[in-house]
Amino acid sequence: MMTARTHQIEVYDLSTWFGPKAVLKNITCHFSDNAVTAIMGPSGCGKSTFLRTINRLNDMIGNFRMKGKILLEGEDIYGPQANVYELRRKIGMVFQRPNPFPMSIRDNVKYGPRLHGVKDDNELDPIVEKSLKRAALWDEVKDGLDEPAPNLSGGQQQRLCIARALSVDPPVLLMDEPVSSLDPISAQKIENLIVELKKDYTIIMVTHNVQQAFRVSDQAAFLYLGELIEFDKTRRIAEAPADERTEAFITGRIG
Amino acid sequence: MQDAVGKFVLLVPAFAGSALIILILTFLWYEATPIFLAPQGGPSIVIQPIWDPNRDLYGIALFILGSFICTFLAIAMAVPLGIGAAVFLSEFCPPRIRTSLRMIVEMMAAIPSIVYGLWAYIVMVPWIKNSFAPAVQSNPLTAWMPWFQGSTNGLSVLAGGTILAIMLLPTVVAVSDDALRSVPSSYREASLALGATKTETAVKIVVSAAIPGIGAAIVLSLGRAVGETMAVLMVTGNSLQIPFTLLDPAYVMTSIITNQLGYAFVFPLWRSALFAVAFVLLMMSVSFTVIAKWFVKWGMKTRGLV
Ligand SMILES: Nc1ncnc2c1ncn2[C@@H]1O[C@H](COP(=O)(O)OP(=O)(O)OP(=O)(O)O)[C@@H](O)[C@H]1O
Ligand SMILES: [Mg+2]
Repeated sequence: MMTARTHQIEVYDLSTWFGPKAVLKNITCHFSDNAVTAIMGPSGCGKSTFLRTINRLNDMIGNFRMKGKILLEGEDIYGPQANVYELRRKIGMVFQRPNPFPMSIRDNVKYGPRLHGVKDDNELDPIVEKSLKRAALWDEVKDGLDEPAPNLSGGQQQRLCIARALSVDPPVLLMDEPVSSLDPISAQKIENLIVELKKDYTIIMVTHNVQQAFRVSDQAAFLYLGELIEFDKTRRIAEAPADERTEAFITGRIG
Repeated sequence: MQDAVGKFVLLVPAFAGSALIILILTFLWYEATPIFLAPQGGPSIVIQPIWDPNRDLYGIALFILGSFICTFLAIAMAVPLGIGAAVFLSEFCPPRIRTSLRMIVEMMAAIPSIVYGLWAYIVMVPWIKNSFAPAVQSNPLTAWMPWFQGSTNGLSVLAGGTILAIMLLPTVVAVSDDALRSVPSSYREASLALGATKTETAVKIVVSAAIPGIGAAIVLSLGRAVGETMAVLMVTGNSLQIPFTLLDPAYVMTSIITNQLGYAFVFPLWRSALFAVAFVLLMMSVSFTVIAKWFVKWGMKTRGLV
């Protein structure tokens, strides 16, 4: 029986463990395409673990185990046919702390496409320009592409990391508290950028900050102690949380 | 007030350290001056190849050349091997095996050089003579190579370079491993998240980020290699000739000093020429240190790490 694919990323009955410790418990949800989904929840509830399970970055951790299914464009990403490298190309990731490589701005953006077989500078240069423009960084760095990336300001570094993630054309973008280590002005810029990017990308963003989640996201998830308590349109959750724990979190009583 | 006292207390050893270096340099310079001023000597001894104190010939180029060749060979063997081992240790090795391998490496570094020399003399030199040389010289794939020509008794630049490489290896491994492990794991994660394999990440990101540290380690080990005495003395043959092939013997700077200082008092210039060799040696070590510092500075700057 064929079922039409409804979403780029679908999660069915996902549970994960680090050693004996259960972190995520029976999570099922569908992330809307071309929208921002915010994952909220108190510290330690498993938000980062959830993101890192979606691009299989937890595979590196020896005692990590998972059960359940995550589908990317209908394919099980933990299935026997799955190609983890191609999967990670399709699911970009931006981390909490800006982590540009210690090389030039240009080389940072070229790194991804080179990995995936683009060798020719005539092809790479337009990718660099396009990615930096998309990340709203081009105008600030176009005259210094060969400067070392770590010399940029924190906010610029984070936009460079976004450009680096976009350089391999991933349909999905994971962001783990992308602005929490930045000053308010840089944070604002990146928030605006995220709203801009959702036209073309499916974005899943972890955030601690309820107000930010309400400003930026279309869908929101509330995780509590590894359980998915609520998952719905952001507006609905903001106006009338269905669960009292969600309400307690968004009014600031827990978290 | 407290601070001033602290500063002063720390200043004393710092000052004593630099004073000692300057003192040694001055002393060597003082002892070497006669040969640099004498009509039989002069600064050109560093490019003159003939060393024969009985005929007033004091060219030390042969020793400089011998040291260079042995050092170059050692670095050419120890560096790729050592970095490879370090990449394995830091990026691929399971933690439990890692600990014991690191311990072995550190123990290797603690073995006295005379022990390495003895082993090389008893095992490696005969092996080069009886197995290695006949094998490469009879194999049509390698027999034509100019660096494998000539008859040998095993005492050779190859033996010297190899034993030096073995002695340098633990340092290169340990320092490179430390440099690789100090690369933040956030770089590794960023690379993996872009779809890189572990190998691609290790080679293109981790090694590249650690290059300043690794490079400095190599340059400093250059200094150790030219200055190493006992092991090299025992296996290079100490023969006053230009080594044209890997199987030829050579005479290195440290060996000539060790071998001849005892009776060089016969002619004052002879003695002075040996100090000239020591002076060149010290200058080389100092410049290696300076180059290492530059290299780190340059590497950190191009990577935006300062
Ligand atoms: N590599 C690991 N090994 C063992 N336990 C881990 C590992 N990574 C995370 N955990 C545990 O899993 C739980 C969830 O961690 P996670 O980092 O996903 O939380 P989080 O919601 O992102 O928190 P924060 O808001 O502080 O970032 C925590 O209890 C944490 O201790
Ligand atoms: Mg987290």
